[in-house]
Amino acid sequence: MTRTASSTGVLASLSSFFRRAPRRVEGDEQDLFDDEFQRKLEYLALVSRRVFSGRLRAERRTKKSGSGVEFADHRDYQPGDDFRTLDWNVYQRFGRLLVRLYEEEEDLAIYLILDTSGSMAFKSDRGAAGTKLAYAKKIVAALAYVGLANLDRVSIVTTSDRILERMPETRGKARIFKTFRFLRSVGAEGTTHLGDAMKTFVAQHKRRGLAVLVSDLYDPQGFERGINVLRYNKFDAFVVHVVDPADARPKLQGDVLVYDCETGDEREVTVTAKVLDRFGAAYAEYLAGVERFCSSRQVPYVTASVDVPFDELILRVFRRGGFLR
Amino acid sequence: MIFAGLPLAELAAIFAAVGFGVAVLYVLKLRRRVVAVPFSPLWERILRDKEATTLFSKLKRLLSLFLQLALLALLVLALGDPRAAESLIKGRTVVVLVDASASMQATDVAPSRLGVAKAEVKKMIRGLGGADRMLVAQMDAVVTPLGPLTGDTSSLEREVDSVVATDARADFPRALRFATDALRGTDRAEIVVVSDGALGPAEDASGPVHMGDAKLSYVRVGKSGRNVGVTEFSVRRYPLDRSRYEVMLELTNSGAQAEDVELQLLGDGALVDLTKLRLQPGERLPRFYPQLSGASRTLEAKIARADGTHDDLAADDHAYALLPERRRAKVLVVTAGNTYLEAALLLDEYLEVTEVAPVPPQAYASAMARGGWDAVVFDGVTPAELPRAPALYLDPRGPGGPVRVEGVLKTPGFDKIDRKHPAVRFLALDDVNVAEGHKLVPQSGDKVLGASDRGASPILVAGTRAGFKFVAVGFDVRASDLPLRIAWPLFILDCLNWFTDEDAQYLSAYRTGEVWRIPLGGAAAQALVKMPDGSTQPVAVHDGRAVFLGEHAGFYEVSGAGNPPIAANAANAADTSGGRVAFAANLLDAEESAIAPQDRVVVDGKEAGEVTGFHFGVRREIWVYLLLAVALLTVLEWATYHRRLTV
Repeated sequence: MTRTASSTGVLASLSSFFRRAPRRVEGDEQDLFDDEFQRKLEYLALVSRRVFSGRLRAERRTKKSGSGVEFADHRDYQPGDDFRTLDWNVYQRFGRLLVRLYEEEEDLAIYLILDTSGSMAFKSDRGAAGTKLAYAKKIVAALAYVGLANLDRVSIVTTSDRILERMPETRGKARIFKTFRFLRSVGAEGTTHLGDAMKTFVAQHKRRGLAVLVSDLYDPQGFERGINVLRYNKFDAFVVHVVDPADARPKLQGDVLVYDCETGDEREVTVTAKVLDRFGAAYAEYLAGVERFCSSRQVPYVTASVDVPFDELILRVFRRGGFLR
Repeated sequence: MIFAGLPLAELAAIFAAVGFGVAVLYVLKLRRRVVAVPFSPLWERILRDKEATTLFSKLKRLLSLFLQLALLALLVLALGDPRAAESLIKGRTVVVLVDASASMQATDVAPSRLGVAKAEVKKMIRGLGGADRMLVAQMDAVVTPLGPLTGDTSSLEREVDSVVATDARADFPRALRFATDALRGTDRAEIVVVSDGALGPAEDASGPVHMGDAKLSYVRVGKSGRNVGVTEFSVRRYPLDRSRYEVMLELTNSGAQAEDVELQLLGDGALVDLTKLRLQPGERLPRFYPQLSGASRTLEAKIARADGTHDDLAADDHAYALLPERRRAKVLVVTAGNTYLEAALLLDEYLEVTEVAPVPPQAYASAMARGGWDAVVFDGVTPAELPRAPALYLDPRGPGGPVRVEGVLKTPGFDKIDRKHPAVRFLALDDVNVAEGHKLVPQSGDKVLGASDRGASPILVAGTRAGFKFVAVGFDVRASDLPLRIAWPLFILDCLNWFTDEDAQYLSAYRTGEVWRIPLGGAAAQALVKMPDGSTQPVAVHDGRAVFLGEHAGFYEVSGAGNPPIAANAANAADTSGGRVAFAANLLDAEESAIAPQDRVVVDGKEAGEVTGFHFGVRREIWVYLLLAVALLTVLEWATYHRRLTV
């Protein structure tokens, strides 16, 4: 029997007193955004244009190139670009054909919502890859870069049971280092309550846009509430579900006392091969339930397994659609 | 049911105390390993189904407690050593006589009869009851108990392993007497004879063996009796030509079918003679090899089947003998000239004769003082003091003689002769004519070999003075017709042979299974025997002879520990330089060579029955089974625990 689930009153307070305190895991991944990572970001930004240019070019060009008045950035000339947007000064000085880009007034707002609850920093003994938080940071950084490169307004918020920290809206590739600094400072702490957190989020952000939720969705109150809050408030929700395959088959044997790393809830379990099989089945059912929910609500959904290289995962996000337009 | 170990009250106390401890341990909550998980609601989901099995889990836990208590109960009961009341008083006392005679070396059954016998005894040991006691004894020329009466099976099995076959025959009556003595006064006494049955009758010099109330059982070992053996083997040199020798041997086919055998005679390891022979069933074939030469020391007889294979018993296929040493005896003759004496001494080329004149006395006294003589002959001379060597006195008269000389005898004759004495054995002295002689007065311990006047007047006396033999003749041989007779040279040579102990007591080989008395010479109290297998063994020396029981065939060497021999008058092949005596030993026993196993063994008019009551694995010690049950239950619990059936 769960000790905390049915406890009330004094017993509940005693129980919470003896409950194991959740830990805060600092964001100490100093080499998370190293040169290699940045090279990959550049590659991803290029690929995002090349692969999806056929579908997106017309809309993007009419929106972005030369139609505004405020210079934003350069990009390489590509066949079909309007000659009038070529920067002849640059051509004269460097011999490269670059197109001048101008800020679009009706630019897109991209909100990258990073779950930083305690479970995101959980790392089992069996898992060979890093924590889900580190992986999620890379995903957020990559998506931010692609967004910045496409001159979208990119904002990052961290959340657990509430909105924790916020990187204000920004745009332009040069701001990526600000993004890195912000992400480096993020640590994992607290319980997950996506419903409450998203309510706060929508209250704070009046401008609607694309809301990419990067989380393991380990929400005791149900992950659906958070996603529904975004949907109901006209945000274009996009779910990147960060999963660790080691969570599906924990390295447990015999009589153990398991406790939740976020809530501290304890439970006595005698782990046998049969129990592990049942746990694996329950975990798979949980993942399937998340995907089922998202697809039924037409919410783009991508499973991000920590043992998949992050750039491959980003391409999968692109293919899934909804992020780039 | 009674408890031979701890009493019931103590057992109950132990069970209560330890059982309480076990119960307390079960009441204590299991301390679990604490493990963090990222999302406990997933565990809630699967454990919700498991709640239904909690009752079953509690039941299993209770069952586990009962199992532990049952294990404890079994262990405590084992401590009590419970036994059936009747088993305590009805234990048997068993003496097992394992035949280790030569015939048990037969290989008609694999690996050998003795090997099979050991296996049979081990089976009996494993079938001993809890209250049974057993004594294992090796039966060969003697009977050797290998341990005390005990029920300890491991020590009994070690004792059985130590049984080694000998080349001797078994002394069955002695073994039976030992067994009946060991069992006297015990309940349910039983003697088990493990043998091929070739044991002979169960009686000895003191009469037949009586078994009393002891039960006699017989375990028969062996299946066939195909064997040809050397049952006699003897060799001797010709007295007058010591370079030649003659060999007598006998082969016996104790099997039930004719056998073609090849007989090899080896002298000093080299082949001297090779003969192919055919022996009919049961045939004893004597062979005589006269006028052989070529060997100086050892002789061996070997037989093998004509097809190159060996028969079932190899122990009697090889016989050993040693030739007496060829050595020139040094003889000092003190005479004024005696043609007859000189002629007689010339007959034996192995005599090295030195003549000295009796006058002046200092001449022969200095020769005698040099020493190293095997014999001294005084012809009409009596030395002032006794020589330190055996001596033959012809017509002694002076005061220094070995015997006192009394009155003159006119025409004495040999009315009485001691024909058993080696000096006059086989000699025809009855009609010797003597003109004149003297009566000799023997001392106590001397032997009168010939006497005149119907035995009243000794004229030929033998004896020992200061440790040296002597023979005294009470007349001048030239005043008789003795030198003209064949008996004269034979008498001289017999006397010298007796002095040097050659031939008379020579044994070319000893028989195994007997107590050997090997003449050593010297005053050593202990001797070292070098066995045929090269090992050495100290033996006691009594009266100048090394005494020990020999049980193996082959060539031996005995050396006195300490003093070397002082004279060469020891029997057999004495090597004076090294103080060693070599000799040979053989089985040479036709009865032991008859290896056909016997179906019956009869003692004291009763036939031995079959062995009964030894059932493997049915020991009456219940604690063994209790411990086995504990082990079984532990294994069961271990298996179910690790298969997660009981957790």
